[in-house]
Amino acid sequence: MAVIEIENLTKDFAVGFWRKRPVRALDGLSLEVRAGEIFGFLGPNGAGKSTTLKLLMHLLSPTSGSARILGRPAGDTAMHERIGYLPENPYFYDYLTPRELLTFMGRLFGMGGAPLARKVRELVGEVGLAASADLQLRKFSKGMVQRLGIAQALINEPEVVFLDEPMSGLDPLGRMEVRRIVTGLRERGVTVFLSSHILPDVEAICDRVAILNRGRLQEAGTLEDILRARISGHEVILSGWTEGTLEAIRPWCSEVRAMGERLHLRADDREDLEAVLGFVFAHGLELVSVNPIRPSLEEYFQTLVVGK
Amino acid sequence: MKSGGGRHPGTRSGAVAALVLAALLVKPVQDFIDARAPAGEEPDLLFFNSPELVRKMALGFEPLLADLYWMRTIQYYGRRDDEGRRRESFENLHTLLDITTTLDPGLQDAYRAGSCFLSEPPPVGAGQPELALELLEKGARSHPLQWRLVYERGFVHYLYLKDYAAAGETWLEAARVPGAPEWLAGLAAMALSKGGAEEIAVSLWRRQYEEATSDAVRDNARNHLHSLQVKRDLAALRDRIERHRAATGSFPPSLGTPRDPMGTPYAYDPRSGRVDLDPASAVRCLDVP
Amino acid sequence: MNRILAIARNTFRETVRDKILYNLILFALVMIGSSLALGQLTLGNEDKVILDLGLGAISVFGLLIAIFIGIGLVYKELEKRTVYALLAKPVRRYELVLGKYLGLLWTLGVNLAVMTAGLALALGYTGRAPAGAYWRLLPAVGLIFLSLALATALALLFSTFSTPALAALFTFFLWVIGHFNADLRTFGELSGSPAVEALGRALYYVIPNFGNFNLIDGRGVLQTAGYARPIDPWAVAGAGAYALLFIAFLLALSVIIFARRDFK
Ligand SMILES: Nc1ncnc2c1ncn2[C@@H]1O[C@H](COP(=O)(O)OP(=O)(O)O)[C@@H](O)[C@H]1O
Ligand SMILES: [Mg+2]
Repeated sequence: MAVIEIENLTKDFAVGFWRKRPVRALDGLSLEVRAGEIFGFLGPNGAGKSTTLKLLMHLLSPTSGSARILGRPAGDTAMHERIGYLPENPYFYDYLTPRELLTFMGRLFGMGGAPLARKVRELVGEVGLAASADLQLRKFSKGMVQRLGIAQALINEPEVVFLDEPMSGLDPLGRMEVRRIVTGLRERGVTVFLSSHILPDVEAICDRVAILNRGRLQEAGTLEDILRARISGHEVILSGWTEGTLEAIRPWCSEVRAMGERLHLRADDREDLEAVLGFVFAHGLELVSVNPIRPSLEEYFQTLVVGK
Repeated sequence: MKSGGGRHPGTRSGAVAALVLAALLVKPVQDFIDARAPAGEEPDLLFFNSPELVRKMALGFEPLLADLYWMRTIQYYGRRDDEGRRRESFENLHTLLDITTTLDPGLQDAYRAGSCFLSEPPPVGAGQPELALELLEKGARSHPLQWRLVYERGFVHYLYLKDYAAAGETWLEAARVPGAPEWLAGLAAMALSKGGAEEIAVSLWRRQYEEATSDAVRDNARNHLHSLQVKRDLAALRDRIERHRAATGSFPPSLGTPRDPMGTPYAYDPRSGRVDLDPASAVRCLDVP
Repeated sequence: MNRILAIARNTFRETVRDKILYNLILFALVMIGSSLALGQLTLGNEDKVILDLGLGAISVFGLLIAIFIGIGLVYKELEKRTVYALLAKPVRRYELVLGKYLGLLWTLGVNLAVMTAGLALALGYTGRAPAGAYWRLLPAVGLIFLSLALATALALLFSTFSTPALAALFTFFLWVIGHFNADLRTFGELSGSPAVEALGRALYYVIPNFGNFNLIDGRGVLQTAGYARPIDPWAVAGAGAYALLFIAFLLALSVIIFARRDFK
């Protein structure tokens, strides 16, 4: 079942002081996010991720296209009872303490009294702010505000959570914690829509991803599928090699590197790989490993950004 | 609190309805307020009716604000309502003048015309000659070389307070100011000898009329001159009627057509022998000495 | 309604924790206090001087609070993006506008109460004002409150679509012009040109008329025999109705603008 349905969503911003001209930040995005999955929304800076999230939150109105969350249009107030949102680089009233902020946010959902107090205490603990629950936010570091931002997105026990760059501003430990929180949400059946340009985080936790560049959707699916399609050769590692070996295999390899005992080779296509491996077996060299070269998400990004 | 979200047509049409309704009602309510209190014309910077406070808050725009207050004073004094009636009490006149002259002590018109407005008895003016004296003294402190401000003070003493001695003393004081005209000394002497009250009055008003710098002051002086003229005319006519009756035992059948200063013939009733200003006359007859 | 109140409460809390507020109140109290010294310089009517200066100080500092804190708050809310998290909650945009406004009024009310207490103390220090004068301070300050509520609605409207500096400037400008509203009209009448006269008349109704709220001054509060300025309750009620209408108009406009706005 699709929890988030985005159809042909397009947003133009008018820029320029005198003669406004439209700049397309998002161009015909169509996506579906299924119930209970962690969906990674990836793209380099300026790709249009935050714009998409703001359109989903109805902070912006679309130039064209539509978005539905939980089957309701983006502006539906009742639907907002059932979702949570962490803005990019969140900022909250800095004269409030986390406890006050969360209590205030809870009241907006009609919560109150002891249940709200309990929920606040629980959340503050969950995001690791228990020790500073009664400290005014202006004394907080960016990372602490980010954690509080996650807490406030969860105050109403939402069914769908939108997180815009939840890992930014956090130290490695903090990122681990966010990953833990997000996977915890999945265990409770919450759908998470998470934007990021930090790939390892996404690689580690997302079920499916979409990749956005310059406002256009490049690809959507599981990371495996996306990257497998881009296997670009194999890396072969040998040992027990001689100078003669080098000369012999060079024609089949696009890259040859000697590293002490071992020789790292790269074979770009299947024929070359077979030739290399045939040589290895024929000459009794020791085969250490053969690995497909899958581009990392970073490399994939790079080709996207540079290539277009 | 209408139903419908901030992004829904419900709020929008609710807000538009509220907007239109409020916009339609503002005018009647404003008119109601204006009808209740003549507050629109009161010195409605009421919280600022302390001249010093106004001056401090003027932040360098004192002359401009003074002009505004002067305009407002003239409005306050001379404005007529829709039926052409002027206001009848001028309780805030002095405050307005005080603020005006504190903001710009150089505004000599404000002292001179202002003292005139203040001195005239109601319904023409505020009937506060003492405050007029205060205002003129304030003016004299800022302009020690202006004999005219001192002279005006004597004018108030003489015509409104009917204190001829004080008037004479004040005119003597004015005569001592460098540059004062010579006739001032004569005027002072006449006042001190208490002779010829009417002549002095006529010459004072004539001077006022000729030298007035504001229409209100000039009109006021003209009214006074006319009133004096009417008074003299009537006295002469009554004298003539009396003499005719003493000689013939009856009132004269006609007086010819003597006219008042605005050209309307005086009303004469040959049966009762009464002569008076025609009620339809354009002369505004004031109480004159 | 609950959401509006929650937002109002939060807004109030924000202002209460702002240092500017205390500075402004302190200034106002110092000014009221110094009216004691000034009052002693004048002969006879020191009570009136204290009241005129005190009410003036309340009005002016109230305006500063309305402008700086009011505009600052809305600006912060928009510029620092607190509004993003808020509007993703089941909060309608008009609820945000009304909540902010109510919160600001709340702040303003508390501040006026503090300043009025200061003024009453100053008046009590001279010990010569009649007992009724203290009661009549309430309608006098009430009218100031109405005028400030109107100024706040203006500030709120301007800050929904312009920068804080401009919003502050517009609000202050209209506040000043609004006091000379009647002059604009008479100026038009004096001009002799029908077009200018019609313009002056139109402006008289369009520009918020802050002159409407100046019904009770020092003399009105004191009601000293022979020096009294009667308080017309109907005029006061009229001023109240005027404030309500104009505020409703401005808030409705703010809501419309705010509801259409993109939060970039
Ligand atoms: N308020 C705005 N006015 C004009 N252009 C904008 C605005 N916000 C975003 N953009 C443009 O839209 C594009 C997408 O921005 P954004 O959604 O913030 O990207 P991301 O979150 O993926 O980094 C960028 O090119 C950015 O310059
Ligand atoms: Mg972004």
